[in-house]
Amino acid sequence: MQAAVELHQVSKSFRVRRARGAGFTARVFDLLGPETQTVLAVDRLSFSIAPGERVAFIGPNGAGKSTTLKMLAGILRPDAGDVRVLGFVPSRQRHQLAFQIGTVFGQRSQLWYQLPPRDTFALLGRVYEIDGREHKRRIDALTSVFELGTLVDTPVRHLSLGERMRCEIVASLLHSPRMLFLDEPTIGLDVSAKAAIRELLRSESERQGVTLLLTSHDTGDMERVCKRAIVIHRGQLLWDGPIAALRRSYLKAKRVTVWTEAEHLELTLPGVRVLSSGSYRTELEIALEITPLGQVVDAALRQAAIRDMAIEDAPLDEVIRALYANADTGSASS
Amino acid sequence: MMAFIVKYAAFSRISVAQARRERGELYGRIVFFAVILGVFSSLWRAVAEAGMPVAADPKTLVWYLAATEWIVLSAPPIHLDIQEAIRRGDVVYRLGRPASYVIGEFAASLGLLAARAPLLGLTAFLCAFAFTRWIPPLGALAIVVPFGLAAAALMTGLHLWIGLLAFWLEDVSPVYWVWQKLMFVLGGLMMPLELYPQFIQKAAAFTPFPVMLADPASFVVWNRLVTPGALARSLVIWCCATAIAVWWTFRRATSALTINGG
Repeated sequence: MQAAVELHQVSKSFRVRRARGAGFTARVFDLLGPETQTVLAVDRLSFSIAPGERVAFIGPNGAGKSTTLKMLAGILRPDAGDVRVLGFVPSRQRHQLAFQIGTVFGQRSQLWYQLPPRDTFALLGRVYEIDGREHKRRIDALTSVFELGTLVDTPVRHLSLGERMRCEIVASLLHSPRMLFLDEPTIGLDVSAKAAIRELLRSESERQGVTLLLTSHDTGDMERVCKRAIVIHRGQLLWDGPIAALRRSYLKAKRVTVWTEAEHLELTLPGVRVLSSGSYRTELEIALEITPLGQVVDAALRQAAIRDMAIEDAPLDEVIRALYANADTGSASS
Repeated sequence: MMAFIVKYAAFSRISVAQARRERGELYGRIVFFAVILGVFSSLWRAVAEAGMPVAADPKTLVWYLAATEWIVLSAPPIHLDIQEAIRRGDVVYRLGRPASYVIGEFAASLGLLAARAPLLGLTAFLCAFAFTRWIPPLGALAIVVPFGLAAAALMTGLHLWIGLLAFWLEDVSPVYWVWQKLMFVLGGLMMPLELYPQFIQKAAAFTPFPVMLADPASFVVWNRLVTPGALARSLVIWCCATAIAVWWTFRRATSALTINGG
């Protein structure tokens, strides 16, 4: 089966101005002959995504995520390497590709601010050359799925951020794209709006078989929408695999909270760090490779009866932070 | 061709809808227009009453100003929209669609122009009549209207070109400031170019400014700066030059594109 997305050794750099200094002379020199430097945003990046997959595209600020998305959408042209999206070369076949893909940029808007979303939907129907009857059917269907109700006839300036974002996603899905690029779709949303957007994205992808590539700093987005993660750092691929495997590979510790009959626990086992202890509650971080969980529980039971216990993985945030830290250490040492 | 027209007419239509919702801006322009005409009609009358030499009949000068200001105020400030879209990064949406960004923006601006021009034209007519108690020959007005609209469309195209400079400059207001001053001097915004020194008239002939302002407005009062045929030819030439400049600038802009936030 043809991959939905295929990147092979893709690189992209930008030339940016570099100020000589803050003084008057430096500014005059900057005006007359600006100094520039080349910033490598994406560095020999390769990966592929199968049709229907939902992939989280992760990286710290400046890692090259948005640049990659824009190359995939055909907005930016790569300096080197091959990019194929749904069989198209985006930089050369942007027009044809545009009919097949949708984009949602969380901090940008495609809706006309003073007008109700329905007007923008009508414009997009013409732009994507959708048959009138089909367009109406699609608007009705998506309005129902995304529970827009009267929001489609409310001026965008009166919508909350969460409502606007639902309308933005509907606008991106109107032409039934086979691939959806999402850049921080839940940024700035409250907890319930985030949950609603995640659920809608996941279900829409499952129902229509839409391939999703989602960039976000919110690990909740990744875990609830995607099954696979691609992590990049400084424009290079750092990790590519299932999110569960990402946890397993980088999580060498578990967080255990124990409620006991004794007020304190005194545990001095190798690989066990007491994070907090008191008021009949002790929080531990256990390096499982050094000391198995069972040994810790035995040791605790020898001191006091256990009333309750909670075992958690460290948050995905920490896993990703560890991944970046490892990469930074690696690049510093090399 | 039909699909092309339908696609870009949708941009014009949504822009008209937007203009209907933003009536405040149009009303502001109408008030400004009336004030400007009132001030200048009083000025020309006072100059004439004081016995100072006025190079032309004060009534015709007011109607001339009504025509030039109608063109300027009807042309939408599309450069500001483009600048904002680039600053906010919304431009990524518009670039990623199966539609030409520049044609879409231009079509949207033409919609705005179509929504504004009739009301502003009516304001120009009523105010100029109220301040002068005189109406130019209707035949002259009938020539001014189509040429004025074509001139406003050309001006919109040039605003689009200024807006595209935001891909490099981010803030195009200095460029627009210079542009406005050139419209005063080389376009004859306030007074007919004939009243300017000879060297300015010669310099202006090499620019699009007289074609956009002085030439169409002159039909109101003299009809002697240029013939309708010559003006039509000049408008076509400058429209082609503007289209080439916009196309070239846009190509350069997108090849050097670095969008905010990546």
